[in-house]
Amino acid sequence: MSSRLDETRGWSLSVWVFKRTLRSFALLVGASFLIYATLRTAPGNMVDLILGINGTEEARSALRAEFGLDQGIIMGYGEWAVRALTGDLGRSITFSPGDNVAEVASSAFLVTLALSVLSLIVSVTLAFALAVALGRPRPKHNLLLTPLSYLNAAPSFVVAIVLTSCINALIYMQLEGGGRMGPSWYPIPTYQAISESLAPFSFAMISISLGDGLFIDLFNALRAELRSVSGAQYMNAVRAKGAPVLPHMVKNLIVPTLSIFTARLPLVLSAVVVVEYIFTLDGSGYLLLEAARVRDVPLVVGVSLFFIAAVICMNLILDLVKAAVDPREVTRVG
Amino acid sequence: MNRNTALKALCCLVLTLFMSPATAKVFRYPESSKPSSLMPFFIENMSAVRVSEFIFESLVTKNKRGDIEGVLAQNWSASPDGLSVTFQLKPNIKWHDGKPFSAQDVVFTVNAAQDRGTIFGLKGKYRFIRSVQAVGNLQVRFTLKKASKKPEELFTFKIIPKHHFQSTAITRLDRFSKYPVGTGPFKVEKNELRLIRLVKNPHYWGRAGIEAIELMHTPDSNEQINLLKYSGQGAGVQNVIFIPPKSMSMFENSDSVVLEPYHTVAWWYFAFNHKNPALSDISVRKAFALALNREELLEAHLGQGDLLSGPFTESSPYYNFDVEPREQDIEEARALLDQAGYKMNGGVRSKGGTRLEFDFLVNKDLPNCQPLALSIQADLKKIGIKINQKFVDNSLYQEQVMKQRKFDLTMNIWSFEELEDIYPLFRTSGVRNYINYSNQEVDVKLDASRKESDHKAYKELMKELHMMLNDDLPYIFLWSLDIYSGLSRRVTNIFIQPYNYYTFFKDWMLK
Repeated sequence: MSSRLDETRGWSLSVWVFKRTLRSFALLVGASFLIYATLRTAPGNMVDLILGINGTEEARSALRAEFGLDQGIIMGYGEWAVRALTGDLGRSITFSPGDNVAEVASSAFLVTLALSVLSLIVSVTLAFALAVALGRPRPKHNLLLTPLSYLNAAPSFVVAIVLTSCINALIYMQLEGGGRMGPSWYPIPTYQAISESLAPFSFAMISISLGDGLFIDLFNALRAELRSVSGAQYMNAVRAKGAPVLPHMVKNLIVPTLSIFTARLPLVLSAVVVVEYIFTLDGSGYLLLEAARVRDVPLVVGVSLFFIAAVICMNLILDLVKAAVDPREVTRVG
Repeated sequence: MNRNTALKALCCLVLTLFMSPATAKVFRYPESSKPSSLMPFFIENMSAVRVSEFIFESLVTKNKRGDIEGVLAQNWSASPDGLSVTFQLKPNIKWHDGKPFSAQDVVFTVNAAQDRGTIFGLKGKYRFIRSVQAVGNLQVRFTLKKASKKPEELFTFKIIPKHHFQSTAITRLDRFSKYPVGTGPFKVEKNELRLIRLVKNPHYWGRAGIEAIELMHTPDSNEQINLLKYSGQGAGVQNVIFIPPKSMSMFENSDSVVLEPYHTVAWWYFAFNHKNPALSDISVRKAFALALNREELLEAHLGQGDLLSGPFTESSPYYNFDVEPREQDIEEARALLDQAGYKMNGGVRSKGGTRLEFDFLVNKDLPNCQPLALSIQADLKKIGIKINQKFVDNSLYQEQVMKQRKFDLTMNIWSFEELEDIYPLFRTSGVRNYINYSNQEVDVKLDASRKESDHKAYKELMKELHMMLNDDLPYIFLWSLDIYSGLSRRVTNIFIQPYNYYTFFKDWMLK
């Protein structure tokens, strides 16, 4: 009887996963088409940018044909989508001429994603630790939490700029006094790759964690979750049975924590776009802004695709984890 | 004990990650825009012009005194009729990859530039050549379409290696655009998104004083200034190309940075679209010119410079000093509009159904454009002209203003490589006449100037044109700026070429 139940549950889970994946893919297609169409119809184009006022009409149409801009939007997108399915996202035209978009965009996106996810993990861990340490809310906690929430309210790019200016000025003062050699990452921005120095990446991570109210938001959410879980009736049952409390609490905290994480990811991704610009990390924020300035259609579409895919994937993963932890999710959502 | 060791190891790791000293002997400089390409044909912005000076060389160039000097060419001789010129090339010159440079490379460069399959904006630079022929390995002969007294002056274009290309039709997506091979003192070692690193060319025929160069893409000008401010002992940057006037005071008495003035052949103008019926009326254009307080606009927003009365900079041989720049005269401007029949109506003048209300399109990349445009708006409001500002990004500006010509007013800069060539700007249907300007008398003079080969007579024609254009106002000629670069005091033997900037970089030294 029980094996039949497992079989039925396994089957419905597979169908559910398939449906979810299909829905995510449709979302990806729709979003990429919207971005492609918006870019193609946006005023200003790369051919005029390249040839300027000197170009002849013949040269203009030859370039349009070379870049595939002579086709209509639907045809152009169709062709792009077919190539994209094989992993070929085309080549950059004006921003980094000739570079393979898939390679450039994926390596840049990796930086952005790593920065976002690591900042979130650091913030979640610290927020969780603080929530556990503080325990039940008490009035004296406000002495710590109120200034923290004010500080944390500043946008992360402001935090980044203030941090940069302070560090630069301090080191400069020290150098002026002693005349010693400064660190390799001085002055910020340093233009060093992550492989050369971890400093810019670390500073960016600090700025993201300290800005946009991220830390305080996570702290409040986690503290509320922690309280509701520890006060739940089943926890009393666990305690009464003398079973270890922590594993039960952690299992019940996974879904809410992951939900907060997923909900926050798109916001953090957009904050990262600006912050990595300040710390000169070669991430997709820099790529996206600069490629859009020179109307590099393949590159902008390519980078955006990674952004959308990341958010869709995170939601998919969240749903799968939810389904794994709490099987009711499958029947509820699916 | 174990805990202590772990702590020490962690400290060491942090120190190595964060405190390793900066590498010295590298000349670093920021650029506001990424070079459009490192391939000479596809140079479409000033950062690409500057970086190509490190990598490529031309047959001849102008030396520090302004005389033509051989670079890849040892000597040359022009035919008496001025229709052909033969260059003898220097022997033992090698490309960055060690292959020998020869006359075939020169022939290939011209053929590639003239190939219809190689599409780029400045093809006109190569149109004067009728044919090119290699005579042996080290001699190349050109025949020209039009006689010239000093034909060698035209051969300042960069030479590319034949052995790197399959055909003369070159596309901009070729890998060569990223990792080019030239004969210049530096070769590209690394070309990443934000950073281009060049190192000394081991095969270089001459000498270069600096070991390596790093070009960093730094769009924000405040960030560029910060990098220079905090520079020293190998850190930061050694050169910022343009120091905005508001940041000048920071470096005026600096121990580590010197401000180096350099002259560019560039002037600002305020343009009218002559297709607009109201703006085709000379009285209206004159009223505009009289309403603007150019001296105040310049000083308040851009710093030092010269007010101009025509399409040349004051150091140009063509500048006509007899023509005085107009001064602001609000009363006269109002009187002109009254005479032309434009009456005040709710703060804006109008005649019949025509209101003096215009769209003013400005490229966001123009320095300090927003406060400048606001002051212009305030000046014009005083005489009953209303302007609606629209700030657009460069690509939109190129499309809407330069190509579609959908604008009433705009403000911009013309930059010239050497002397100002005003023919394409003001000739009816000239390539750069995007303002739809047409004046028969001006056309006659411009055509005459094209045929004139005597320098003195040409100069006179330009002076006459200066006067005519100041009267007819196709543009309001605004000013040319005093430009300053910031350089670390560690850099010595500096000589800045006004347009290409780093032409004499191989002589620069880094202490």
